Amino acid sequence: MRSSRALAFAAFATAVAVTMQAQAQQAQGFALERFYPSAPGGGWFVMDDLDMHGGLGGALSLTAGYAHDPLVVTDGTQHVGVVADQGFFDLGAAVTYDRYRLYLDLSSPLVIRGESGTVGGYRFTAPSVDLGKNTDLIVDARVGYDVRLWGGPTSPFRLGVGAQLFIPNGRREDYDTDDTFRAMVRVLFAGNVGSIAYAGQIGEHIRALDDSPAPGSPQGNELLFGLAAGPRVPVSKDGNTVLVVGPELYGATALQSFLGTTSTALEGLLTGRLEGTRDDGPQIRVKLGTGAGLNQHFGAPEWRFVLGVEVFDHDLRGARAGRASQP
Amino acid sequence: MIRLSKIRRGPLRGLVACAVACILSIAAPARAGVTEPGERPDQQFDFMNLLSHLGLHDIDNESWNAYGQFTYITSYKAPFSAPYTNANGSTNSLLPNSERSWTGTFTLYLGAKLWPGAEVYFAPEVVAEQALSQLRGIGGAIQNFELQKSGLTTPILYRSRLYVQQTIGLGGTRVVKDSDPLQLGSSVDSRRLVFRLGNFSVIDFFDKNSFSGDLRQQFFNMAFMTYAAYDFVADARGYTWGGVAEFDDDDWAIRIGRLAPPQDPNSLPLTLQLDKFYGDQLEIEHNHRLFGQPGAVRLLGYRNRENMGRFRDAIGAFQSDPSKNAANCTSYNYGSQNAHAPDLCWARKPNVKMGIGLNIEQHVTDDIGVFFRGMVSDGNTEVYAFTSTDRSVSFGATAKGSLWHRPLDVTGIGLGMGWISQAHADYLRMGGIDGFIGDGNIQASMESVFDIFYSVSVASAVWLSADYQHLTHPAFNADRGPVDIAGARVHAEF
Repeated sequence: MRSSRALAFAAFATAVAVTMQAQAQQAQGFALERFYPSAPGGGWFVMDDLDMHGGLGGALSLTAGYAHDPLVVTDGTQHVGVVADQGFFDLGAAVTYDRYRLYLDLSSPLVIRGESGTVGGYRFTAPSVDLGKNTDLIVDARVGYDVRLWGGPTSPFRLGVGAQLFIPNGRREDYDTDDTFRAMVRVLFAGNVGSIAYAGQIGEHIRALDDSPAPGSPQGNELLFGLAAGPRVPVSKDGNTVLVVGPELYGATALQSFLGTTSTALEGLLTGRLEGTRDDGPQIRVKLGTGAGLNQHFGAPEWRFVLGVEVFDHDLRGARAGRASQP
Repeated sequence: MIRLSKIRRGPLRGLVACAVACILSIAAPARAGVTEPGERPDQQFDFMNLLSHLGLHDIDNESWNAYGQFTYITSYKAPFSAPYTNANGSTNSLLPNSERSWTGTFTLYLGAKLWPGAEVYFAPEVVAEQALSQLRGIGGAIQNFELQKSGLTTPILYRSRLYVQQTIGLGGTRVVKDSDPLQLGSSVDSRRLVFRLGNFSVIDFFDKNSFSGDLRQQFFNMAFMTYAAYDFVADARGYTWGGVAEFDDDDWAIRIGRLAPPQDPNSLPLTLQLDKFYGDQLEIEHNHRLFGQPGAVRLLGYRNRENMGRFRDAIGAFQSDPSKNAANCTSYNYGSQNAHAPDLCWARKPNVKMGIGLNIEQHVTDDIGVFFRGMVSDGNTEVYAFTSTDRSVSFGATAKGSLWHRPLDVTGIGLGMGWISQAHADYLRMGGIDGFIGDGNIQASMESVFDIFYSVSVASAVWLSADYQHLTHPAFNADRGPVDIAGARVHAEF
C-alpha cells in the first residue's frame, strides 16, 4: 500500500513537472554582451582617454576575449547557466580629426554556448554558436561618434560626449542581438594628473527590448557608468613607450528597477597596457585585462579575460613629415 | 576591373600584372555571391588616392588602407516555354512565368601591416537579395553572380574575409604592388613565398582571370566568375577557412591550398575537421607575352573529400529498395516530395570529387582582351558548394572604352556552356534533384548562356551597366527554355 502511494505521488509529481514544463514560456534571447570596447584608439578597454588631436588620423583595433557564465538565471532555488561560455573578437576602425572621432566596430562571436533549462516559469534554450556553425557571423555593428568638448589631449581634465548606434545583426536565440536598433549616449571624462591617468563615463543605453519579468533579461533603457584609473609609467629611456596599469570598473542598471540586484551588472577588470606616445608615425598599443563580475547579474560574467591590440596615428600628415625627415 | 592599362605599365608589366592579379584578387563563391575586387585604375577616384594626393598617406608603402564598394543589380526574366515544371513533386524548376531578381551588396576592404612581410585583411559585407525561383532551376548559368544561397531580402552583415598574409622574399627583381582592395601598396621580391591563413574565398587566390573574374565590373552571369564545373569548397555565401601557400618565381607561380567544406551540401556551417573533410587545390600559372602582348595560362586541379552522395549510389539504393525515395528522406535533403524518384540523401558518405581546368587570358591590344576557361569534373557526385555543372567551357572578350574615348567604360561579350555527366542525367531523368536543379524529368543537353554587357562610367568611380543574356536549356534540360534575361547594374567604388 505504501509503495503504491509512493508510486502515485511520483507519478503526480512527474505530471506536475511535465505540465509546468509545458506551460513555461519560451524566453527569447537578447544582446547579452556587457563588455562594450572603447572606440579604436580609446586607450582603456571600456573607458576612453579622449586624447584625439592633430590633423587627420586614425586607429585600427583588435580585441578578443572570453567571459565565463555571463548569464546564469535563477529563481533562488534553481540555477541554469544559459550562457556559460562566451568568446568573441572585435575589429574596429576609427578616423580622427582634431578633437573628433568617427568609428566603426564589428564584433564576431567565437563561441556562445550553455545549458537549457526552465527557471521561474520560463524555458531558456541555450545558444550554440561556434566557428564551424557560424563561420562568418558579425553581430550588432556599432557606429560611434565622440568629441572632446573641454580640455587638451593631455590636460588634467577632459570632457567629451559620445553617441553610438547599434545596427541589429544576428539572431536573438544566439544571445548576440536584441534584433532592434539600440543606441548609447554618454558623457565621457578623462585626465592626466601627474603620473596618474583616469577616465570615466556615464550615459544611457537606449534599449527598446523589455523582456521582464523573464530572469536575467533586458528591462528597457539602462544607465551606463564606469571609472578607470592607474599610474602611467615610462618604460623606455626616451619616454616614448609607457605602461599604464589600473582597474576599470563599469556596469549598467535598468532604469525601471534602478540599481536592483538582479537588474544591475557590475564588473571589474584589472588592466595593463603598453603604448607608444610619439606623434610622428603609427603607434602600437597592447592591452591585457582580467576581471570578474562584482555583481554577477544582468550580463556580468563570473570572470572575464580580454586582450587587445591597437594601431593608431594621431596625425597622418605628421607621420609623413616625420618619415620624410628621416635619413 | 579590366587591368589592361596597368598590365602594360613598367618593365615588369607581365609579371606584375599576373602576380598582382593572382595575389590580390578575390573572387566569388559558391552558387552565389562572392566576387573579388579587381585592381583600380590610377585615374579612378578613391579615398586612398585622395589621402595620398593630400600628402596624408604613403600609397606606395602602406601601413594600412581602406576601400569599399556598392553594387546593385536587377534582372528581369521574360516568360518562357516549358512543357512541365516541378514534375511529380520535384521542387527545383525555374518557373516559366516572368520574374524579377535583385541583389545589393556593400563591402569594406580593410588592410593593415602587422610586421615585416605580414599583412592582415578584413572585409565585412552586407548583402540583400531576391533570386529567381528561389535560386532553383539553372545549372551553371545563374544570371547574377552576386546571388547567395543563404541570401534574404533583409540585409545581412557578415564577415567575408579575415586572413593573415605572410610574404617571404627570396630575391629576384622588385615587383611593385599597387594599393588596391585587399592589397597594401608595397614592393616585393619577384621570387617569393606567400602564405595565407584564415577566412576567404577559394577564388580569391585561385583561377584569377583579368577579363572574366571581377564581375562587379564585367559580366553579370555567374558562368564567367570561375569555371562553372569548379565545385570549390565554400559555405553558402562562397567563403571558407583554410590555408593557401604560393611560390612565385618571375613568370611562374604555383599555389596550393587546403580549405574547409560545408558540413552539408550547399549549407552555411563549415566542417573544420580538415584531416577528414577538405578541398585541396593545386594551380600552376605561367605568364607570357604573345606578339608583344601579355597573357597568362593557368592549370588548376582540385580534389574534394566531402560527405556527399554519388548519383549511381542513389539510383542503386532506390532500385534495390523503392522506399528509399525522395519523399522518405530522413537525413539532409532538398525537400522533394517525389516518391518515385531516387534521392542523394540515401547515398551520402565520405566521397571524393575531382576536376581539372585550363584558364587562359590574352591581351589582343592594349585595351582588348580575350579569355577561355574549360574544366572537366568527374561528374560522379552531387554539387556540394558551387553549381550543378560537371563540365564547362566559357570564352569571350572584354574591352575598355579607350577606342571611343571613354577609357573607364567597359564592354564584353561571352559564351558559357555546361554539361552534366551521364550518371547525373540518369538521376535527374528518374526525378531526382540536387541542390539546384531537377525538373522531375529531363532531356539532357548542354546548358549555355550568351552574355553581353556595357558599363558606362558616369563618374570617376560610378558605373551604370546594361546586360542581356540568352540562356538555353536551363538546368541542362532541352525540354525547357530558352530564357531571355535583361539586367541593369549600379556599381560604385570608393
